[in-house]
Amino acid sequence: MQENDQNRSEARDAGERLVARHVREDPFAAAFKATRMPMIVTDPNQADNPIIFCNTAFEKLTGYSSSEAVGRNCRFLQGPETNPTTVARIRAAISAGSDIAIDILNYKKDGEPFWNALFLSPVRDENDKIIYFFASQLDFTNVRSREADLAAARHRAEEEVAAHTEKLEAALEARSLLVHEVDHRVKNNLLTMASIVKLQTRITRDEGQKRALMSVLNRVEALSTVQRKLFPLEDVSRFDVADFTKELVTDLVEAVGRKDIRLTLDLHPLYVPAVKVTPLSLIVNELVGDAVRRGLSDGGGDIHVVVKRLNGHFLIRVEDTSIPVEVDAETAEIGRILLETSARQVDAKIEKRIDGHRTMVDVTLLVDSQESRH
Amino acid sequence: MKVMIVEDEMLLAMELETEVEMAGHVVTGTAMNRKQVGDLLRAHRPDFAFVDIHLQDGPTGIDIGRDLASKGIPYVFVSGNIKKVPADFAGALGAIEKPYTMNGMKNALAYISAILVGEEDVTPPASLVLAGDDVLTTVSAGTRSPALLCDAQHIQARRD
Repeated sequence: MQENDQNRSEARDAGERLVARHVREDPFAAAFKATRMPMIVTDPNQADNPIIFCNTAFEKLTGYSSSEAVGRNCRFLQGPETNPTTVARIRAAISAGSDIAIDILNYKKDGEPFWNALFLSPVRDENDKIIYFFASQLDFTNVRSREADLAAARHRAEEEVAAHTEKLEAALEARSLLVHEVDHRVKNNLLTMASIVKLQTRITRDEGQKRALMSVLNRVEALSTVQRKLFPLEDVSRFDVADFTKELVTDLVEAVGRKDIRLTLDLHPLYVPAVKVTPLSLIVNELVGDAVRRGLSDGGGDIHVVVKRLNGHFLIRVEDTSIPVEVDAETAEIGRILLETSARQVDAKIEKRIDGHRTMVDVTLLVDSQESRH
Repeated sequence: MKVMIVEDEMLLAMELETEVEMAGHVVTGTAMNRKQVGDLLRAHRPDFAFVDIHLQDGPTGIDIGRDLASKGIPYVFVSGNIKKVPADFAGALGAIEKPYTMNGMKNALAYISAILVGEEDVTPPASLVLAGDDVLTTVSAGTRSPALLCDAQHIQARRD
């Protein structure tokens, strides 16, 4: 204890000697004392490199008076949360006699921690011997805590986003499974319905009944083709009428099995929203089916099918040339009703022209430009 | 030709059997799972098979298909979800997507029986999605129309 007092008194003396060397008018000394920047000077030539001088700003920052600080090594400012690695780096700079600028957590006299942007630099005499260390302290606790708050807020936000994303992904996954399951069931049910109709068609002996059942099967199968062309998980409005038409027409014409039917197609991708898919598909089915029934299946001929956009309209045209045959009244009637009803649903106009053996039917409707461009 | 049907929906299997027979072929039997396929194959070797992917014992159709391919039995997948068909088609000639139409099935069957007897001048129907060219040429040097080639690519793109 005695030795300690002895040391402190030596430090005080060294400080007084330092101050005495500067006359009152020395602007550097005056600035050192009066600046708002907390500063200290230590003497490495005394045991344990004690503080020999501190300015008023230092006293104000730390709460330690000059008489309490002088004579002590700076480590009294350290506390429980001070990073030992930082302390080791400061110690290394001092032994090496080099400058160091480092952030360290220090503690005030009342125990309150503060973030100190420490700058420490040796002062050398004319022989290059280190005679003092000069250190300035800058309290940046406010900046540090703002940064910490910001980082914490960002971290919380990121965590929330991650949690929401996870929930969304799980929901999407569930939705995807559900859509696939429903799609699968619809497809299976359509095929099962078709199978039941086919079974009944085979069993029944009455030709009229057979015809009626085949007529139902034809429309159920048109819807089956629609279901195959719908993409369950993508935008359901991406149904291409041209793609549907191509499959429907080629399947039908091939199945008729006549080599003397010449099919030509002029099809351009035409995407329509899901609500219009069924009526438009039935329109195509009725037009093509009608052409086949009116003569193509009996005597061959030409059939030309067009699906395209024309002056802001959407055009479906079926043009056929064949030797006309009588179509039974019921068959013609159901075809006509389906065509007209579907056309009414999508607000389409039907124009039919007959010129000798050539029949041309145009179905036109206005399409939202938004819908058809994908 | 002798045809095996692998399908777990009995009503669909029965109607398919009728269509195959109406086209002049013989059905060796219907299997609803992998075990029944094994039993059927031991009893009769078919010339061709229709294979659904999702069966009574799960999505075993793919493995059944690979078995058939290793035995040199040509087949096509018949599935509601064409996306489930592996990229290499597991050795299948192609795939018919459910719900197929009567015409679509009839045309596919006509095409398949034609190429299996070695006819060359046949055009594949829209209802049959063909596997890659290399798979097809192992069975026959059948011709493919550019339009159908387009379709196959389209389907390929969809699967991706």
